[in-house]
Amino acid sequence: MICIHELTKDYGCYKGIFDISFSLQQGEIVAFLGPNGSGKTTTIRHLMGFIKADHGKVKILDMDCFTQAKEISQYLGYLPGEIAFIEDMKGIDFIRFIAEMRGIKDFLRIDELIEYFELDAKQYIKKMSKGMKQKVGLVIAFMKDVPIYILDEPTSGLDPLMQNKFVEYIQKLKKEGKTILMSSHIFEEVENTCDRIVVIKEGRIIADELIMNIKNKRKKHYEIIFVNEIDALQFSKKYECILNKNKVSLFYNDVNELIQELHQYKIDELLIRSQSIEEIFLQYYGG
Amino acid sequence: MIKTLLKREIKANYKIFAIFIIIITIYSSIIVAMYDPLLGKSLNMMAKSIPELFRAFNMIDPGLTLLDFIMNYLYGFILIVIPLVFTLIMCYRLIGRYIEQKSFAYLLSSSYSRIEIIVSQYMTLFIFVFFLLAYTGVLVYLCGYFMFEEIIALDEFLALNTGLLFLHLFFLSICYLSVCIFNEIKYSIGIGGGLCFIFILIQMLSQASDKIEFLKYFTPLTLFNAKELVSGTSQAINNILILLIISIVLFLFSVKQFKNKDLFL
Repeated sequence: MICIHELTKDYGCYKGIFDISFSLQQGEIVAFLGPNGSGKTTTIRHLMGFIKADHGKVKILDMDCFTQAKEISQYLGYLPGEIAFIEDMKGIDFIRFIAEMRGIKDFLRIDELIEYFELDAKQYIKKMSKGMKQKVGLVIAFMKDVPIYILDEPTSGLDPLMQNKFVEYIQKLKKEGKTILMSSHIFEEVENTCDRIVVIKEGRIIADELIMNIKNKRKKHYEIIFVNEIDALQFSKKYECILNKNKVSLFYNDVNELIQELHQYKIDELLIRSQSIEEIFLQYYGG
Repeated sequence: MIKTLLKREIKANYKIFAIFIIIITIYSSIIVAMYDPLLGKSLNMMAKSIPELFRAFNMIDPGLTLLDFIMNYLYGFILIVIPLVFTLIMCYRLIGRYIEQKSFAYLLSSSYSRIEIIVSQYMTLFIFVFFLLAYTGVLVYLCGYFMFEEIIALDEFLALNTGLLFLHLFFLSICYLSVCIFNEIKYSIGIGGGLCFIFILIQMLSQASDKIEFLKYFTPLTLFNAKELVSGTSQAINNILILLIISIVLFLFSVKQFKNKDLFL
């Protein structure tokens, strides 16, 4: 459905995106992650046909994203990362205007979306709060029943309740077999909706993995409080861990081996939990 | 032409249009009212005493008929500058602000291509300018008729207004090209508008003194010669046709530029 092959856009001074390749199959929901300024929006701009690639191919439904942007737009719902509406219009007028521009004649789906996202569309856009504006964007992105949706930070500005509603909506679209690429910073949202994550950093793809694999791979996190500091110090010399007085925390895979080792010390407290998806993501972000 | 977009732009811009209609109505009717069939002679005398000033504002020979009079006082400066300011504002409102505010992304994710949108907005701008000038023409004509019962020769008046329309089409095309090339408002509006005003300034200078008359070859405004258009010389008609052709070329170039440009939306 979406195919990016060796895409490069060089802005100079090491800014831009370099040699990016990944693709989305039908029905796949992929999270596009990365720190600010890593090249997510630049990649999405290529997909939308706003900018021309220096090198490489960007295709949606086997059509070139730059030269066939018009044809592609009929199969695409898009939410821009920046809130940018025509400010002098009322929410509902802007939604209707875009709907007409997209050749939509039946407003039933739009009315349902407005109700679902609890949007007060009668206000002037310039008077709306950030969250309200984001809802306008969501209604526009989903207003047409299309096979592909590209969403740039869809939940920014939304309150937690609305974020949940958004996640539910994505799950509904997933059941309908839609293909969705979305960039996000909210781990929970990604964990609950996406099949795969693609991580970009400094303009290059550094990870492309199934969420399932990540969940399987995650390590256990141990927090061990020793009775005395000497034990803690001795233990810390053997393992890669963080030592704080008599408290040691570490990630480790082999439970048995660790318990064997701990047998030699006097332990005050032992806390074990699974590494969260968030911690895994942060590993990607940082390193 | 995208109907939905045209409808939206008319709704969003009719107030600005109305303001310019009011400004032009006030200016034009006052200038026409100032015409005094008998005063022509005394004005001619005044023009002889301070020729530089009169010439600078394209009022070389204030003349005797109402047509001569408005050619100098309206078509020489006021009807060139006021619609140009309107064009500039509209270039911002039709293209510039959508790119600056990034709402162009929504227009592009509709079922129209960027070329269709850019052509549609150009047509919208032309329609606005056309109606502004058409209104001005009718207003001046009627003012002359009702104030002085003087009927301006229609063919001469039409030739004059067609020339003015082509001149404004040329201005419009320069401003539009600039707005299609540059992303930042200070360049997209500044360069197009700045260029047009420099052309006007060069014309004013070239008319102020014989010594720098050669400057007229550096401004396309020379191609619009009201006096010769009214007398119907083929040179004058060819000149405004050149303006038309340059405008079309500039327009095609705008489309080509915009088609391949990177939009940071």
